[in-house]
Amino acid sequence: MARYAMVIDLDRCTGCRACMEACKVENNTPTATFWMYVFRFEEGEYPNTHIWFMPRPCMHCDNAPCVKVCPVGARYKREDGLVATDWDRCIGCRYCEVACPYGVNFFNWKEPSKNYYLDWRDKDLSPITNGAVPPYRNPDLEKPYGKERRRTAGGGRLKGVIEKCTFCVHRVEKGLQPACVANCPLFALHFGDLDDPNSTVSQLLRRKPSFRLLEELGTRPRVYYVGGHPPDTEARQIEEVKARV
Amino acid sequence: MATRVERLPYGIGRFTLGLYLLLVVLLMVVGWGIYAYSRQFTEGLVVTGLRDIGTMGGAAWGLYIAFDIYFVGVSFAGITTAALIRLLHLKHLKPVSRMAEVLTVVSLILAAFSVLPDLGQPVRGIINLFRYARPQSPFFGTFTLVVSGYLFASLVYLYLDGRRDAAILAKEKGPLQGFYRLWAAGYRDTPAERERHDRASFWLAIAILPLLVTAHSTLGFVFGIQSGRPGWFSALQAPGFVVMAGVSGIGLLAVIAAILRQALNEREQLHEGIFKWLGMFLVVLILIYLYFMVVELLTTTYAGHHHEVRVTLALLTGGYAWLFWGVVASLLLALVSLLLPYLPEPLRVRFPAFQPGYALATGLTAFVVGVFFILQRMGPPRGALLMLSPEVLRWIPWLLAVFLVLFVLSFFPLFTTSFVASAAVSGLLVNLAAIGKRLLIVVPSQTYGTLLPYGVGTYTPTWVEYSIIGGLFALGTLLYLLFVKFFPIMEVRTAEEGGH
Amino acid sequence: MRTTLTILMVVSGFALQAVSYFFLAAPWGIPTSPVYSNPRVPFAPALFILGVMLVFLAAVVYELLPDSGQRG
Repeated sequence: MARYAMVIDLDRCTGCRACMEACKVENNTPTATFWMYVFRFEEGEYPNTHIWFMPRPCMHCDNAPCVKVCPVGARYKREDGLVATDWDRCIGCRYCEVACPYGVNFFNWKEPSKNYYLDWRDKDLSPITNGAVPPYRNPDLEKPYGKERRRTAGGGRLKGVIEKCTFCVHRVEKGLQPACVANCPLFALHFGDLDDPNSTVSQLLRRKPSFRLLEELGTRPRVYYVGGHPPDTEARQIEEVKARV
Repeated sequence: MATRVERLPYGIGRFTLGLYLLLVVLLMVVGWGIYAYSRQFTEGLVVTGLRDIGTMGGAAWGLYIAFDIYFVGVSFAGITTAALIRLLHLKHLKPVSRMAEVLTVVSLILAAFSVLPDLGQPVRGIINLFRYARPQSPFFGTFTLVVSGYLFASLVYLYLDGRRDAAILAKEKGPLQGFYRLWAAGYRDTPAERERHDRASFWLAIAILPLLVTAHSTLGFVFGIQSGRPGWFSALQAPGFVVMAGVSGIGLLAVIAAILRQALNEREQLHEGIFKWLGMFLVVLILIYLYFMVVELLTTTYAGHHHEVRVTLALLTGGYAWLFWGVVASLLLALVSLLLPYLPEPLRVRFPAFQPGYALATGLTAFVVGVFFILQRMGPPRGALLMLSPEVLRWIPWLLAVFLVLFVLSFFPLFTTSFVASAAVSGLLVNLAAIGKRLLIVVPSQTYGTLLPYGVGTYTPTWVEYSIIGGLFALGTLLYLLFVKFFPIMEVRTAEEGGH
Repeated sequence: MRTTLTILMVVSGFALQAVSYFFLAAPWGIPTSPVYSNPRVPFAPALFILGVMLVFLAAVVYELLPDSGQRG
């Protein structure tokens, strides 16, 4: 069984946020939902400032707080290390969200079809496209995945359930890279199997010193950062995103 | 053998016009709450003020969870008092025993109901918990111990404890005779039966007391074992929950006992000694809780871990300061008002006598300042009588707090003479404090307690949340009132016993 | 007879709790496999709660059951 991990090279990231865009298109997540989010930090005082960027997907922790607190086992850890959300079982208590130290969970506050990224029921759009282009809806997102055959892919298909980054489980099971990794123009994001010594992630982790976010909490994340340092009290966001629904 | 009673005691079955009016008003509030919930059910939780933590800058848990833990906390009173009375043979407290049991049952029902609106998929919630619940989740304890075990145990205790009275009332002809007969289930008050009930209730009390500590602790663990939230992660969370539960529960019991004492005119049976005991219990619990608060503040601030400090500063001087200091002030005022009747005689007379004008003046001023503040907060387009700078505006809530404190203080001379008044008023104060503290536990750790450098979040409840909570309170009052009107809220004293 | 039944109910209630606890999803440790997010026996949590209720219901049985020895 593979042991999937993501390695993010902070030296390469330019903060273009193409990964955020790719994620939204691939998973058709509702507005104000950022499964992948890129922090843009500024450090120091003018004129001695330093700007750096930090993508933040779900950390897919080995000792995930969200998995532990889920009262019904809707959030669970797959054998290959992906932390999955079974949106057929989620009761919408949002305990995973308050337990997660990384802030990666997003709740479907309203009917998601009302604010999908690609609004496939858009009234303004339908006369132009004559219904031809949208509706775009990836059928892969509806299918069950893993040995356990549970529906874990895609944006929230229901009102009142939680959703988060899936590491694009529907692509990974086909042998593809997650959308954010595949679309990074600078190869800052890497995804692969830690058990395979020849995979890019294994090679990168051997070559460069790495850290994981909030390691001191014992969550054992599967997302490694190389070529930078964790955000400390010095780091302040250049523009705070506050995307409300 | 119990002898016949002249008519149904404690005003059972007597519905006056005022009572009907009250019931109608309560039903209307409940109906409004149901309407608000129907809006939430169809629209989704977007109608609440809750939002995602992090990039959405909100709090995922808010009023619903705060009131859920408040209601569970209140349930502490009931069964503890009842069990303590049974185990320690506190005979003189017997009259509040059933009041306390009913309070437990009602508040646990409310607690179960206040979780439902918090769930995004309430129907699934009911089914999936029975189907998939996992012991790793702290909710498992809440669900099995609190809502099922605790509620069920309280119902059993209430039922068995009421059989004797039901048997007495079943002898009377009336529309409710069948109901009493069903409740009594063949109880005839023979010495053998009495002894049997004595033994059963003893073992029940023994079984319930540890359940009480564990049940309230599991609720504390919901927050206390989450290392990812500064302000929650604390070993004091579970014991703090147990103590705060006691504070709010005993406080509300004192309020209810005082109201029933007035309404039923049972000054003899609900004597001052009961309130004295409840008050003393409350004093001890408040002192323990204040001690916990000091310990917690010192622990979070002394080392200076910056995430902890950020949350704590939000409480002490930031956006939640008015609530935090309001909680502290309420607890302290409650403590003082509870201790006032113990003042030695010479000190008591030096207090200025209660002056209605003084209370009226401070109360009215507080009201005016409060309305002014709300109008100012609405912003220039709608309210804003005066264009005040934010610097000045910052002090208005404090002004309001000062006048509120003065208002409460002006009533203090009344309490020096009455244990009942002091226990009831401090009961009310500690319940306000409990609600405030529950909110302070739930919300700031989400809005200020993000470990990654997200921005500070905000949470303002909407009318839907207020309406649902209001509806729940009305529902609780309604259930309690109906119980009082259908079953003796205190032990029935038969003519034989009354003759002693 | 009545006491026996009561004790039997209490014991079986606790036994049901203990047994059903092991039917639950991953009763201990950090789950390593997705199968641990499902109870081993369907509706095991409901069984657990049934156990809790059985214990307390014993008190009702103890009080309500007529004493066969005395009343005949």
